[in-house]
Amino acid sequence: MTIEHGLTQGKAEPPSWRLLLELAPITLVLALLFGAATVLAVAQSLGFAPWYGINTFPDFRYFAALWGSGIFWVSLGLTLYYSLVSTILALVLAVLLSLALIKAFPGKGLYKYIYKLPLMIPYTVGIALAVIMLGNGGMMSRLAASIGLISDPSQFPRILNTHAGWGIIAVYVWKQTPFITLAVYAVLLGVGRETDDAAAILGANRFQIFFQVTLPQILPGIVSSTLICFSFNLGAFEAPFILGGGFPDTLPVVAWRYFNDADYTLQLQGMATVVSIGLVAGVILFAYLAVYRRYERQRGRA
Amino acid sequence: MKCLSRVALIASMSVALMAGIAFADESAGKFQADFLAGKLTWDDVLAQARQDGEIQFYYWGGDDNLNIWIDSVVTPALAAEGVKLVANRITGTKDAVDLVIAEANSGRGIGDGSVDAIWLNGENFYTLNRQKLLFGSFAQAVPNAVNFEWNSEDPRSQLNLRDFGIETNSQEIPWSGEQYVCAVNRALMPTEKTPSTFDGLKAYLEANPGKFTYVKPPHYLGNTFVQEVLYAFNPDGTGSAPFQKSLEELGVDELARIAAPGFEYLKSIEPLLLGGPTGTVRYPEDASAAQGLFRNSETHMYCEFGLYGVATNRATGNYPQTAEEIVFPENAMIKNKNYLAIPANAPNPAAALVFANYMASVDAQASKLETIGYPAGIDPWKLTVEDAARLEAAAPGHFGVTQADLDANIAPDTNASLVDVIEATWLEYIERKSTAPLAEIIATAAKNLNK
Repeated sequence: MTIEHGLTQGKAEPPSWRLLLELAPITLVLALLFGAATVLAVAQSLGFAPWYGINTFPDFRYFAALWGSGIFWVSLGLTLYYSLVSTILALVLAVLLSLALIKAFPGKGLYKYIYKLPLMIPYTVGIALAVIMLGNGGMMSRLAASIGLISDPSQFPRILNTHAGWGIIAVYVWKQTPFITLAVYAVLLGVGRETDDAAAILGANRFQIFFQVTLPQILPGIVSSTLICFSFNLGAFEAPFILGGGFPDTLPVVAWRYFNDADYTLQLQGMATVVSIGLVAGVILFAYLAVYRRYERQRGRA
Repeated sequence: MKCLSRVALIASMSVALMAGIAFADESAGKFQADFLAGKLTWDDVLAQARQDGEIQFYYWGGDDNLNIWIDSVVTPALAAEGVKLVANRITGTKDAVDLVIAEANSGRGIGDGSVDAIWLNGENFYTLNRQKLLFGSFAQAVPNAVNFEWNSEDPRSQLNLRDFGIETNSQEIPWSGEQYVCAVNRALMPTEKTPSTFDGLKAYLEANPGKFTYVKPPHYLGNTFVQEVLYAFNPDGTGSAPFQKSLEELGVDELARIAAPGFEYLKSIEPLLLGGPTGTVRYPEDASAAQGLFRNSETHMYCEFGLYGVATNRATGNYPQTAEEIVFPENAMIKNKNYLAIPANAPNPAAALVFANYMASVDAQASKLETIGYPAGIDPWKLTVEDAARLEAAAPGHFGVTQADLDANIAPDTNASLVDVIEATWLEYIERKSTAPLAEIIATAAKNLNK
């Protein structure tokens, strides 16, 4: 692999037609669907919407109105809180799970299939499960009422539809733990157990082995999978819409409400919200990757 | 050379295609003009509908009973006419209206859109009407128009001629009639404690905090609750009367004056609504969420459109078996009709007319009433004695009140031009807890909506 790499670099030939052709499909899709949509979204958020009879481009009034209201920052805080807490919880569970999976235990063959189950179930079904299980009209509250712990189901502590967001976090963690596990477990299988064993022989304890040997090894898997989960959580709409606590909402729900308003001019405000989500996500993910790259460089990798 | 000839071929093909589309437009335009001018017989329409072959019907798909009825009754009936019904279930009627507007704005004119019929009323009709995106005056030109009262001298005709105060000009045909009825759970709310006014409701909630909520505006179920509150607290004591005027006639300042006490009431009950006692008040997003709360005894009372809603929902187990209807609020239960409209750019207008005519038939109306409990949109006094008896026999029963009680307390809907302003005011004043003076909030909302 290194030899090939060196060769192409050495010759520095112009890219072949074949390579361009191979790259074309994804480039076209990105440029047309993603690129055009982004350009349109930014243009609209800056006052370009002749189809509603509005064209004041460039006009920063929609961003000013949005960022100038205190409630936007509360919404942003809620959005970041749900995304971050669920990503961290899922990560901790996933690392523990992958460390367990690498060991031999009876029924491992079956268990390796079972833990992936949530990956195949759509988010909306997960949300429905949360409503059925955790809601105040759900199975758990009814069970608690029927065995006499509480006198009626509405006394059950509210898990869904609060701003603490345990329902939203539960769905994200349920769905994303297997996803992160998949990435981390694959890396663990790739590096093998030899380095851990060597460290153990040299007298390292379990914590030292994990933090100084295993963690640096699985970090690429952790970074790539948490990156995907976090950015999904930031932009996801269904879970906070159905399981969230109402006003103030997360930013994707705020954007939807603007789009759904009878006042068509608010659609531009909605676009400004969408562009803001993109900006926030971009800045955070870029910073995350920059920190990670720096760490890798310090360790002499990559 | 080979390449060039291929380009030429493609170009000529696309010219042919475009010509084909233009031709289809022309024929749709001609059909529309001929039909509206009364030049076509109903047999011509039926023949054209068979040629159309299908109809794209867009409607709110949140009611399973309705969906099953559409699939098992309406689809076969239209198939018998040679028309395939394509049921597009949407979560909000506004989606279909937005689709029509977007397509029209992108240049898809007569015969070229993708929506043939929409189930709607109120602000959605108002929007399409204002943008001149309706097919035309068809409702009195289909055979089953005889089932409706069109004589404007009869006050009962108003529900057919006006939709939320806006003249329909027969651009939509009534399909169902509804009344905003509140249901209570008798296991939790005894008769003697049952409120019949909004002040009574507040007193009940002071004794039972958190046991009621209403659907969050801008959902129409929430809007209707807010409208009833505004009628009840109208400082002139004239109830719904001033709310029948359009925003232009009424004036923004006058609206602010008559709506202010109602909004103050809504603000004052907020800490007593579901979740209010613990600090975060909860307004359900839609009917099914609100019904879930009522079914699960989290709320003692629940209001929505449905003259026979309690009977149907008790039968399906969606409501507790102890649910009963009440007269609430006295003299201000909003009653309206809902309609089927055909957009101006409907791709299959003839099939849409056949569909609208079928939906206005006694067969369809009696079956709908019996299976899903949606009140008849046709007027019984215009029917033969046998047909009227058939409708009456098909109606589900009432629990706790009589039809006469419900009929005696009706009020009309709010003028569609006010609805959006009231909705925007609720969002700003109640949800976003704006501290600006109410008059200013209403003025801003009115200004933004009329841009």
